[in-house]
Amino acid sequence: MPTDTLNSLGEIAATNTWGAIYPEMILGCLALFLLVLEVVLPKFAHGAIPRIAILGQILLLGYIVVFDPSGCCNGVAFGGMIELSGTGQALRIFFLLASIFVSYLAMVSFENKTLARVEYFAITLVVTGALSLMAMANHFVMLFVALETATVGFYVLVSYFRQNVLSLEAGLKYLIMGALSSAILLFGIVLLYGAASNPALAGSSEDAMNFQNLRAFLEANPTDSLAIIGMLLVISGVAFKIGAFPFQIWIPDVYQGAPVSTTAFLAVSSKAAGFAVLLTLVKTFAPLSSVLVPVLTGIAALTILFGNFAALTQRNLKRLIGLSGVSHAGFLLIGVIAAQAVPQATNWVLFYLFAYLLGSMAVFAVFAHLPKVWDSDLELDDLGDMAKRNGFLGIALAIGIGSLAGIPPLAGFIGKFLIFVAAFKAELYVLLGVGIVGVVISIYYYFGVIKAAFFEVWRFTDEDEEAEAAPALPGATLTGLGKLTIVVAIAGSVVLGFFQGPLGSWLSGQ
Amino acid sequence: MTVGLEQYIAVSAALFAIGFFGVLRRKNTLVIYMCLELMLNACNLGLIAFSRYHGGMSGSVFVFFTITVAAAEVAVGLAIIVALFRKRQTVQVPDLNALKN
Repeated sequence: MPTDTLNSLGEIAATNTWGAIYPEMILGCLALFLLVLEVVLPKFAHGAIPRIAILGQILLLGYIVVFDPSGCCNGVAFGGMIELSGTGQALRIFFLLASIFVSYLAMVSFENKTLARVEYFAITLVVTGALSLMAMANHFVMLFVALETATVGFYVLVSYFRQNVLSLEAGLKYLIMGALSSAILLFGIVLLYGAASNPALAGSSEDAMNFQNLRAFLEANPTDSLAIIGMLLVISGVAFKIGAFPFQIWIPDVYQGAPVSTTAFLAVSSKAAGFAVLLTLVKTFAPLSSVLVPVLTGIAALTILFGNFAALTQRNLKRLIGLSGVSHAGFLLIGVIAAQAVPQATNWVLFYLFAYLLGSMAVFAVFAHLPKVWDSDLELDDLGDMAKRNGFLGIALAIGIGSLAGIPPLAGFIGKFLIFVAAFKAELYVLLGVGIVGVVISIYYYFGVIKAAFFEVWRFTDEDEEAEAAPALPGATLTGLGKLTIVVAIAGSVVLGFFQGPLGSWLSGQ
Repeated sequence: MTVGLEQYIAVSAALFAIGFFGVLRRKNTLVIYMCLELMLNACNLGLIAFSRYHGGMSGSVFVFFTITVAAAEVAVGLAIIVALFRKRQTVQVPDLNALKN
């Protein structure tokens, strides 16, 4: 073997900075450890395994936040496979925080069911690790493998309630839609690779799937039609994952059928990972922005309008939150487009994601505590004057929904405000207008939820029926841990509404 | 006539299109699943052809990853289809309408 090949292999091996991805490795080891525990521990002690999973994640999150808030090092690693950056570190913390909430929601909603439990937590950990690697990907191979690791995990998590037809059907729909979007993404990668590896063209490279090399090629050939088609396919594949119009068809069904913890996981982490990828890809495709920006602008405007109008008529709670999540994806897309002209907008997108995380988790935690056998059947009427039956959950729901709606002074308001500022600075006046219209429409259905929770539901009843309707819904039971979790989520929403300083300076200092 | 890169890419694109419209048009879940695999294999063919004719290895190596990913997807996907069949005794898409619109 020629020595220069060996030397270059040695150079690549030297960039394998394993220490830089210790959170993902710890997550993977923790997942395996949980599976071992299931084998080793006696049956009656299995209840402790979810708690161990949550505790492990809290310790890891605490360690990162206290000792390693800005990551060990910046720059590409693993031979150009991943790029370590402050944004990656912020998203890593985001995914860990979300997965702690998801694990807790799963613990609550599995309580009254007979099914295998430990696997759910193990898969959640693996998916979290994969999402965080996906956010750092700097190479299409890395991106695709991390994305598929997460997606295959999600197939299992969505169809986890095997006794429930709705959960299985949601799983099948997510499976077909997810595999379809992956195949579209992959074909886009193939075309981009084919264009950028062509030795006859200027700027081509042997390692054409590396984002820096691809960008260099696109700068040299900004009108290459193969590359433009490839880019559009890749963007379509990512748009499927974030649920942007016209690729949002799977969202209501899958969100309704999936267990509430998985719905939260999909709504928050999966969407955030999609946006992390999109932020990277928009930078890579910057030389093609004359095609990319109009496409993304159209998608963003239609996503906001569709999500809000479709949510107006929904009665099912999880469908409603899913469709409102579609409109949130539209707002985030505005931020992504603005980030091309206004660099700080990247941080504002991250801030919006954190606000969305806290608001959504408060809402989903309330859903998990509502007494229903299968949470896919939750309707608006099930909230029926919940505030009277359990004031704490009522307040949590009001704050969560208020933050999602963007009511000042909650975190969601600041998030939307920053996105609008970014759109204004980037001179995206049409999107700004559509966004404001979207906010106005969304207040109608968000307040529908709050109204259902705080005011008596008018029911057409005879006297007989009234007697049986009144005690039909027992009050939700809350443990101390549950209260603590919800308090963290709503306190986060309130505090971030007033003091953005620490999070903001941490995000922009990255 | 010699077979060149264009022919390979044309076949790959045709396979991808057949798979894509199959996913949209077919009613049987298993056939839809086969169409999804067809799309992934169309991508593999494209990767190999570009890799061979443009003289780089990364495309060929990527194929190993996509094959592995496809295998993992099949394992999970068939399990979901079997579980659903046990519950509903059907895998025809028009019958799977429990989630209301």
